[in-house]
Amino acid sequence: MQQKKGYVSFVLHAHLPFIHHPESDDYLEESWLYEAISETYIPLLTNFQKLVDEGVDFRITMSMTPPLLSMLDNKLLQRKYIKYLKKLIELSKKEVIRTANDERLNKLSHYYLDRYSNDLHLFKDVFNCDLISQFKHFQDIGVLEIITCGATHGYFPILYVNEKTVKAQIAVGVQTYERYFGKKPRGIWLPECGYVPEADKYLKEFGIDYIITESHGILYADPTPIYGTYSPIVSPKGVVAFGRDMESSRQVWSSINGYPGDFNYREFYRDIGYEADYDYIKPYIAHNGVRVHTGIKYHRITGKTDNKDYYEPQWAMDSAEKQAGHFLDCRTSQINDIVSVMDKPPIILCPYDAELYGHWWYEGPYWLYILFKKIYYDDCNFQLITPSEYIDKYPEIQVSSPCRSSWGANGYSEVWLNETNDYAHKHLHVAGDRMCELACSYPNAKGLKKKALNQCARELLLAQSSDWLFIITNGTMVDYAKKRIKDHIGRFNKLYYQIKNDDIDENFLKDISKKDCVFPDINYNIYG
Amino acid sequence: MPRKAKEKEELKNTKTNKKISNSKVTNSKKTSSNRTKQSKSSVQSKNAAKSTKISKTSTTNKKSTSVKKQSKPIITEYYDLPERYNQTVVKVLAQTPKTLFIYWEISDADIENYKKQYGENFFETTKPVLIIHNDNLNYSFEVEINDFANSWYLHINDSKSNYRIELGRRPINTNNIEIKSDYIFITSSNKIEAPNDHILFNNSQKMVYFRNVKTKQEIQKPISSLSFIRNMGKIYDIYDIYKELYKNEDDFNNLSNPSSHTSSQFK
Repeated sequence: MQQKKGYVSFVLHAHLPFIHHPESDDYLEESWLYEAISETYIPLLTNFQKLVDEGVDFRITMSMTPPLLSMLDNKLLQRKYIKYLKKLIELSKKEVIRTANDERLNKLSHYYLDRYSNDLHLFKDVFNCDLISQFKHFQDIGVLEIITCGATHGYFPILYVNEKTVKAQIAVGVQTYERYFGKKPRGIWLPECGYVPEADKYLKEFGIDYIITESHGILYADPTPIYGTYSPIVSPKGVVAFGRDMESSRQVWSSINGYPGDFNYREFYRDIGYEADYDYIKPYIAHNGVRVHTGIKYHRITGKTDNKDYYEPQWAMDSAEKQAGHFLDCRTSQINDIVSVMDKPPIILCPYDAELYGHWWYEGPYWLYILFKKIYYDDCNFQLITPSEYIDKYPEIQVSSPCRSSWGANGYSEVWLNETNDYAHKHLHVAGDRMCELACSYPNAKGLKKKALNQCARELLLAQSSDWLFIITNGTMVDYAKKRIKDHIGRFNKLYYQIKNDDIDENFLKDISKKDCVFPDINYNIYG
Repeated sequence: MPRKAKEKEELKNTKTNKKISNSKVTNSKKTSSNRTKQSKSSVQSKNAAKSTKISKTSTTNKKSTSVKKQSKPIITEYYDLPERYNQTVVKVLAQTPKTLFIYWEISDADIENYKKQYGENFFETTKPVLIIHNDNLNYSFEVEINDFANSWYLHINDSKSNYRIELGRRPINTNNIEIKSDYIFITSSNKIEAPNDHILFNNSQKMVYFRNVKTKQEIQKPISSLSFIRNMGKIYDIYDIYKELYKNEDDFNNLSNPSSHTSSQFK
């Protein structure tokens, strides 16, 4: 048995923007949540449970962002998810009949029917629609560490022009975590890994021990960290920063030879929503008749051409197992290489978008399950750890200021600030200033005014989601993202003047409070 | 929102954007790489799933119908972003270690004040300028902008430095009698630090500072005393350590990570 010389820490960032439209069933963006539940969150939970049942001791860290928690907790969205699943099951049943003459396809259609039926059973009967408690359970038994995030994933390097707005993002992030998990979070996933040293004092104020940064957040730190990203650093204000390992992240993410591109894996883009006969598929695509993904996909990546063969779940599992072995071997040799230049056990931090696992990389949750099993049973030189455990074991940490950085393309702020979306920033800044002005002007508001002030805070936070800026940059679903910025800034400004003029429209307030019902316990005085 | 209203809104929005982009001048080199790479199919799938509000579906079950009825909008909402906020302000953000983004506005009251003080044609006889102060290296430089723009991307030479921006105006014709001064200050910005963009190998570090985050005790050790450095004869400084730690990196002065978002399919 090899001696354990180092640690590997997986951090999955689970986030979706707050999308909640009680006013209509027709916002397709709501399905992002349903797809993520079926393809990522339920598979992760199922695999965690399998590991526990098999007696595998593992560790994983997940950030669950406040908007995601709010949506998972939302009764209307829970009902809509069940409705979504029921339609998928109905379609899967039709598929079983439609593919009766093709043995391979028919096997796959049965696979989907089983899978979605099982999701419905798990979600309704086993989980009682409450996924948060399921994740909390794994935290309570010590295999999962859940950390928080900025309230609405607001990007600190742009918001901090008004520091109070960063403080509020942190405060509400911590409060939301406490509401769902009954204790304070030790770590925070900085939205988009956007680090600014100005946030440190607020992170400390709200009890945060550690943050996750992109690799150069550590490597470009001042003074230069002597262990590179293989050990955290602590900022002068006392926030511990862990940096992403480059080698392992490349193995998973690389668009050229990353794991998810294996030819045996399921092809994301070949979906019957695009391929089936139009009249047949019409009831299961967008209400306006636009073809969309249904979640039933019959092909594997196969190769680099458009010729795609049918998906073979067993082949895909074989590939996942091979890649898990490869990942384990690579980390083992990486650790063997670096221990000679370190006088403490290294930590290799592997942060990923949680939704990569399962939604984009369909076999990702299984890969993780196999990898964790191998780490536990195979003869390797490292073990899994959470950042908190690492800090507790090795509390002596080099003092250094992390570099201002993000994990977006090119490592700084270009994704959230460029010619496509720079028009938005002045509105976000002005609304931030106005919110502070309101909080200072009316520190003891009561009744309707207090409700209006709290709703102002919600509108501001929702406008600040980095997601809208990202979507605009990316060029897809742009209309929706622009509308969200306009709606939240519009609602904010309307309320701002109503509050100042002492002329609050109660019906309007009620209406937008129902739509933007995130953070029920918010207190606008965080801006004071 | 009724379909017509939505279309109208989008039309208006496009117009506004056009106006902004036409009026914006950028003097920093921009490449297409300032956008995250985006997979072709993300376009395919998400474009197809364009957000559209349409008529009710017949499959709505009883339960959700009742929810829907309850929450039917009672307020018709339509918003456009304000063109301006009637404030005198200049703000600066760091887009990259070498590019700043600056936006500004002058309030109506201030416009009137300048006209009162310097004559009705003040804004025709002067041109706007931005003065960029680097507070670490103690130098300033000036960029001439124009009155059609309300924001600017600006290249800077020094990363990891503090910058402040001043918005001011200079007379176009130096013989202008009404304006005695050759520079009129309007307002100054927030302070911003441009991020660092390289490993700080040049900072000759003799000591390494550690803090025990549990006990808060701080200790300093001479870099040469660290056991692993002592044991490795060939290691003299951090550059040598990094050469060992990042053996597999071709060029650790130029590190780039695969972006997290290249394959995020939800957004």
